[in-house]
Amino acid sequence: MDMGEATRERVETVDLTNCDREPIHIPGLVQPHGVLLVLQDPTLEIVQVSSNTQEIIGHAPQTLLGQPLGHLLDGEQVKTVQQCLAENFESMNPLDLTIHHPGGTADLDGIVHRSDGVIILELEKKQTENRPDFLDFYHQVRGTITRIQQAPSLVDMCQVVVQEVRRITGFDRVMVYQFDPEGAGIVVAEATNQATPYLGLRYPSSDIPKQARELYTRNWLRLIPDSQYQPATLIPAQNPVTQKPLNLSLAVLRSVSPIHLEYLHNMGVTASMSISLIRDRQLWGLIACHHASPKYVPCETRTACEFIGQVMSVELANKETSEDRDYALQLKALQTELVDTLSQAEYFLEGMARLDKILLRLVNATGAVVFSGDRSITIGDTPTEADTHALLDWIKPHLHHNLFETRSLIKDYPAAAAFKAIASGVLALEISRIHHNYILWFRPEVIQTVNWGGNPNKPVEVQSDGSFHLSPRKSFELWQETVRGCSLPWRPCELEAVIELRSMIVGLVLRQADELALMNFKLRRSNEELDSFAYIASHDLKEPLRGIHNYANFLMEDYGDILEEDGIAKLQTLVRLSQRMEDLINSLLHYSRLDRAELIRQPVDLDDLVQHVIATLTIAHPQSQIEFRIPQPLPEVECDRSQVTELYSNLISNAIKYNDKAEKWIEIGWFERELGSGSQEPGGGSQEPGGGSQEPGGRRREAGSTVLPAAGHSPNPKSKTQNPKSKIFYVRDNGIGIAEEHLDKVFQIFRRLHGRDAFGGGTGAGLTIARKIAERHDGRIWIESIPGQGSTFYFTLSAEDVVR
Amino acid sequence: MLQNVAPPSRQTPPLLIVEDSDEDFETFQRFLRRSPTQIPIQRCIDGDQALAFLYRRGDFIDPSSAPRPGLIVLDLNLPGTDGREVLRQIKQDERLRKIPLVVFTTSNNPKDIAECYQYGANSYIVKPINFARLKQDIQTLVTYWFEVTELPNLPES
Repeated sequence: MDMGEATRERVETVDLTNCDREPIHIPGLVQPHGVLLVLQDPTLEIVQVSSNTQEIIGHAPQTLLGQPLGHLLDGEQVKTVQQCLAENFESMNPLDLTIHHPGGTADLDGIVHRSDGVIILELEKKQTENRPDFLDFYHQVRGTITRIQQAPSLVDMCQVVVQEVRRITGFDRVMVYQFDPEGAGIVVAEATNQATPYLGLRYPSSDIPKQARELYTRNWLRLIPDSQYQPATLIPAQNPVTQKPLNLSLAVLRSVSPIHLEYLHNMGVTASMSISLIRDRQLWGLIACHHASPKYVPCETRTACEFIGQVMSVELANKETSEDRDYALQLKALQTELVDTLSQAEYFLEGMARLDKILLRLVNATGAVVFSGDRSITIGDTPTEADTHALLDWIKPHLHHNLFETRSLIKDYPAAAAFKAIASGVLALEISRIHHNYILWFRPEVIQTVNWGGNPNKPVEVQSDGSFHLSPRKSFELWQETVRGCSLPWRPCELEAVIELRSMIVGLVLRQADELALMNFKLRRSNEELDSFAYIASHDLKEPLRGIHNYANFLMEDYGDILEEDGIAKLQTLVRLSQRMEDLINSLLHYSRLDRAELIRQPVDLDDLVQHVIATLTIAHPQSQIEFRIPQPLPEVECDRSQVTELYSNLISNAIKYNDKAEKWIEIGWFERELGSGSQEPGGGSQEPGGGSQEPGGRRREAGSTVLPAAGHSPNPKSKTQNPKSKIFYVRDNGIGIAEEHLDKVFQIFRRLHGRDAFGGGTGAGLTIARKIAERHDGRIWIESIPGQGSTFYFTLSAEDVVR
Repeated sequence: MLQNVAPPSRQTPPLLIVEDSDEDFETFQRFLRRSPTQIPIQRCIDGDQALAFLYRRGDFIDPSSAPRPGLIVLDLNLPGTDGREVLRQIKQDERLRKIPLVVFTTSNNPKDIAECYQYGANSYIVKPINFARLKQDIQTLVTYWFEVTELPNLPES
């Protein structure tokens, strides 16, 4: 594009992306620090020249056109050029040439290449008298190459390169500029004597137009010694062979786009050099050199820099691979830490909460929310709880292979506009749908995080004549538009890390489930073993006991005459003790059998059952005069008939036994109470039959330590909504009562509160068995008592009667 | 160990008691001796010996050393082959099942009781620890099985 076209286009739109359309490879101009000769192939006749031949090589352009190359160079040098063309001229350039002209002698560096059927020979004046040789070049770059290769990381290598290039060339500022997949760049290394560092600055992709990128991949080094230069034109303007503008893609003297020059000018750069960094044939980045004043870089130095660029390009792959490996290792270490932390935690959420910042580091996020069931925890910067919950609900159907990721949530989820500053990028991981375990990671809008390569608020300057003065700074605004609502992209290795995290958590959970199952199995087995132990031990205990019993009797029968009264009395004690021991063993046996016997639930008329129990007990205790009160008929319930018979039998016989009143009574009743409503204190409830001697404030004690919280204090709202009725049964007496300090002992096996033979004796297993029976019915048993006034035993017979 | 406690009687078939406890056996024997009915007693000390005796193998190949008992009194908890297994085998055998079998054991486990009757035990007595009661139980057992009831004719082979 010539300047006229550029001006016209600029009027249409002030858009730097116009650069994309600028044909920069055919400017028809060259930089004036060298001359360009176009030679016919293969005659080497000069057919086109740059307009500045007089200044550089002492011949006017018109005197050169139509001349053979031998007109300028001696036969030896022409041969060198021919040889260069025949071979790989890359390795031959630059050629060491000398031109004699009327004004004197010019020592030149010659660079030869072919373009569109013609040969282009570019000549630049040598700056030094010393002829460079290979050893100079070798010494210049040897140390650099070693340092590049030894750099431990990509960033280190970039730093080495900028320092070396600056040392070799003397530019004010040397930078390594890396492109992201979308073409935007960031300064990753810098060596400078300037006050303002550019390190970390980002540039939008539009700063380097597409076709410029293309040329960068073909032409590895570009030099602009003085951006204020007046370009030299070509004479004639067209390529004489093609009759089109000469293709200067590979010409080192090619004139630079005026837009680029303006760009440099705005940055205060007069001289610039850039060296391409190519990885996998793609432009990975640039070594960019800036100088505030005009600066020429001799050919051999450029060759050295280009060589450094090539070495670095080769090393990029190595360094990036090891960088990825390092990152992977770092992730692995993180994951290991994570698993350690998680496996120490009992619950998923607790484990995640412990991870805290590790969870963020795993994917370079700035915020995270971990969901588990109804609960969630937040780490770092996150949207509000309501926002994250709504977001998660929206994400769920969008999950793909347990993952969802976006760097611009706002595009698909407009509600995200409210929190784009902290959550433009979202990465979601589903760990378990059933348990509702999810993790969301957030990244802020990139515009919040980047360092700008200039003031984005001053993009366009308007000239006094009303035309826009195009400034490359304008591009930042463009870029702002393209990155608004976007975060930095999630890297593939970060996604992998998250997938791996999931499988680790799942593995961990499975392992914990396995351990739990194993523990359950062991517990069950140990319970079974305990049961059979009690059972077998009881049996084996009984046999020698019977022997003792029988042989004591044999003694009394066979030797009664000799033993006398005292001996007989002692043997009788022995017999009595052995009998008592058998009672104890039988109780133990019975107790252990309760657990093992199958619970046969069937509808049982408790009214009927209790009448039978009373009848049986009355026969067993004919001497006691007891009034049995049954205020209302007992209901029919699902239960094990023989066990509940025993339960009532134990409670009622206890009530009979532990009563020293002249007029004894036992009340057997039941009442219903809504779960979760009011107190379960008997005597106060309207549904409970009155008449008891119990004070509402009577002491109550749960049986054993495994029982559940008292009904009246249930925190569970579910029971309120369902309002199931709970049947509570009770056996109340006006007996001796139990002191508060003993209340928790009554349900312990063989635990007696009175002398062995007081109140008719007994083994002390009756209440323990009663508790076991209630528990086997998924119910519970508890007691209230006032010493001297009486006791009430309450029990339930089904799970729904238990307030959980 | 087989103890020939009383000389075999042609009229009264012996009572076979399978009991590992010497003390229990002595107690049993003591009461039996004092009983008005004189019953010859064969004792086997475990389940394997009892089966050998009944099937006339091992030490009992000679039929005269293993007369057919009129009643088997079997303890359940025995070393080696358990009493429950002995019961099962006897009651599955065509010839032996005719012999009345009384389980006489410490176990009052309802499961044992149910199972023994299921297998075909003719009676199940829990050994009482009360001395007087034990004496009475054993006397009742002997009187019942050897005086009240008629025993089947048992082929000698």
